[in-house]
Amino acid sequence: MTENPSEAAIRSWCVEYLARTLDLPGQTIDEGMTFARMGLDSANSVFLIVELEDWLGLELTPDLLFEHPTISALARHLAERTSR
Amino acid sequence: MNSTTAEFSLEAGPSGRGEFSSLVDVLRRRAADQPDDPAYIFLPDRQGERVSLSFSEVYARSQAVARRLVKRGQKGDRAVLLFAPGLDFVVAFFGCLLSGVIAVPMMVPRRASSRDASAAIMADCLPRFAMTSRDLLTHARPDLAERFRTDRLDWIFVDSCSADSGKRQCPLPLPGPEDIAFLQYTSGSTSAPKGVIVSHRNLLENSEMIRIAFGNTCKSTHVSWVPLYHDMGLILNVLQSLYLGALCVLLAPVSFMQRPLRWLRAIDEYRAEVAGGPNFAFELCATRHRPDELKGIDLSCWKVAFNGAEPVRARTIERFAATFAPYGFDIKSMQPAYGMAEATLLISANRRGTGPGTCNVSREELQRNRIGAPAHADDTQILVGCGRLLFGECLAIVDPETLAPLGPRLVGEVWVAGPHVAQGYWRNPEATASVFKARTASGDARHWLRTGDLGFLDEHGELYITGRINDLIIIRGINHYPQDIEETVQDCHPALRRHCGAAFSLPDQNEEEQLVIVQEVERTLRREIAVEEIIATVREVVAREHEIAAREIVLIHTGSLPKTTSGKIQRQLTRQRFLAGSLSRV
Repeated sequence: MTENPSEAAIRSWCVEYLARTLDLPGQTIDEGMTFARMGLDSANSVFLIVELEDWLGLELTPDLLFEHPTISALARHLAERTSR
Repeated sequence: MNSTTAEFSLEAGPSGRGEFSSLVDVLRRRAADQPDDPAYIFLPDRQGERVSLSFSEVYARSQAVARRLVKRGQKGDRAVLLFAPGLDFVVAFFGCLLSGVIAVPMMVPRRASSRDASAAIMADCLPRFAMTSRDLLTHARPDLAERFRTDRLDWIFVDSCSADSGKRQCPLPLPGPEDIAFLQYTSGSTSAPKGVIVSHRNLLENSEMIRIAFGNTCKSTHVSWVPLYHDMGLILNVLQSLYLGALCVLLAPVSFMQRPLRWLRAIDEYRAEVAGGPNFAFELCATRHRPDELKGIDLSCWKVAFNGAEPVRARTIERFAATFAPYGFDIKSMQPAYGMAEATLLISANRRGTGPGTCNVSREELQRNRIGAPAHADDTQILVGCGRLLFGECLAIVDPETLAPLGPRLVGEVWVAGPHVAQGYWRNPEATASVFKARTASGDARHWLRTGDLGFLDEHGELYITGRINDLIIIRGINHYPQDIEETVQDCHPALRRHCGAAFSLPDQNEEEQLVIVQEVERTLRREIAVEEIIATVREVVAREHEIAAREIVLIHTGSLPKTTSGKIQRQLTRQRFLAGSLSRV
C-alpha cells in the first residue's frame, strides 16, 4: 500500500487539476483563492470531488467545498482524513 | 396542406386519445387496474434506502396531500413545489392535481445566490402554498423559510400528510380536460419569468404523441436522473410512465453528475427501455466510461435514448454509441428530439428504432442562415436531425420577418400548432398574443406557436434546428438569457458600463457550449482599474448567480461594443469579432 498523499501533494494536485479544467486565461490559480473566486460552478465542484474521491479513496459530500472554501483549507482537511 | 411549403400535418386522432378526461383520471385508473405494480422507485446515493411506491400508494398519499390542500385553500390557488430529489415531489405534484390547486415546480434556490428566478416566479404566480418536506425545510435548508418570509406562504409538508389522516374524508374535485394542471416556468429572463399554462388536455395529448413516437407500452420502464422541476424530467419520465402504466426509476441529478455510470447500471438492472437527457449527459457518460465499473452490464434493453433540451452533436452520438456498443447499445436507439414547455414538451422526434438522421451542410452558408453543400472538407458541418413532427400536430418553417411559410431546406422560424400547444403564459396577455397567437402571411386562420428557434425541414420532413432568433444561451440543458448575465456583470463593479456588455456562448474543443463575456469599461476609470481583479470578480458573481463557469471574460474600451444604430447590442457580431480577435481589448 502506498503512503497517503501529503497535504502539500493534495494542494499541488488541486492547483494543477483546476488550472487544467477551468483553463482561465489571464488568471493563475492560487492556494488561498476561494473556489467561488475561480468561478467554480456546482457541476465543476462535483467533478473535482469525484476525482478526489477516486484518488484518495474517501467518500466526500458535495458540501465539502462550502465548508473548506480554498485549496489550502481543503487540502488540510483531506490530509487529516487520509491519515486517520 | 399546401404542397409547395414545408408545412406538415397529421391530424387524424388515434384511438388511444380521448380515453382519459384528465391526468387524475389516468392516476385513478392505474391505482384501480394495477394497484400493486411499482410506479416509482428512487435510488439512493450511497447512504439511504431505495424508496418505492406502487400505483395505489402514490394515489393514497396524493389524496392525503390533496385533502389538506382542499381544506386550506381553493381551486386555482397556486402551490410552489420545493423538493430535494426524491418521490415527495411526485406525491406533491399529484396532490395538487387531485385538489385543483395549480402546481408550480421550482428549482430549490441555491444557498449563496441572491438573484435566481425564484423571487420573480413567486411575484408572478402569487402562490398560497409552498409544498416541501419537513427534512428539507427544518434540517437541510432552514434558510428557505426566511428567504420567502414576505410571501406569506402556507407551508405543507407532504411527508407528514398521512394517508389515513382526516376522519371525515372530504370529496375531491374531478378536473376537466381544460382545467389547468400546472405552470412551467422555464421561459423568460430571471427578472421577468413566464409561466406556461399547461392544461390536462395538453398533458394527455402530448403524452399520447410521446407514446406513439417512442413506441412505448406498459412494459417501457424509464430510468431518469433529470430534475423533476425541469419539464423533461417531469413529462417525459414521471408523467409518461404513469400514462403507460409503466415503472419509472429516478436518481438524483447530483448522483448522476458524480457517477454517470450509475444511470447506465440502473438501466441494465431494471431492464429499462427509455432513458435520456440533454446532450451533455451522453458526453459525460462516454468521458467517464470505466470498463471495470460496467462489467457484465447489458444495455440491449435500452430502446429509446432520447437526447434533447440542448443542441444535439453528431460527435457525441458517435462517441457514445461506439463506447457502449460492446455493452449491447444500438445506435438506432438514439432519439434526438426537440421540444419546449410552450408545447407542453415534445415537438419532434423520430419513431422508435429509426436512429438519428444527419445532414452535411456548408458551415459558411449556415452562418448566413442558408443551407448548401459544403465547399470543401473544412467547410463541412454535420447537423443532427431532431426527428419528424408528431401525430396530431402541424409544423411550419416561417420567415420571421415576412411571416411567409418557407419550403424545404430553407432556414426560418419553427412554428407549431396542435392540441399540445399550451393556452399561453400566466397572466401575461401581451407575451401570450405574440408567442401563441401568430398568423402566417399565407392567410390561413390557424393560430401558431412561435418557438423562437431557427431551423429547416428536409425533403422527408426531418426537422433540423440551426439556431435561435434571440440570443438564448443553453448550457447543460439550462436556458440562460444573456441580458440576465450582462446585468449581473454590470452590477458587480463601478468600472463596468451599463448596457454595454454582451454574453454569448461558443462550443469548446469537446463541442460543449462555454460562456464568453465581453464588457466595456468606463473611460474615466480606465487608467486606475486592475483588469485582473475585475475579471476575477465577474467570474465569481457569474458562477454564484448563474451557476456557469465563464470561460473567457474580455474587457473592452468605451464605446467599442458592436451595437445597432438604435443602440441594440449585437451579440452575434460581438461573437464574430471575438473569434476574429478584432475586439478593442483593454
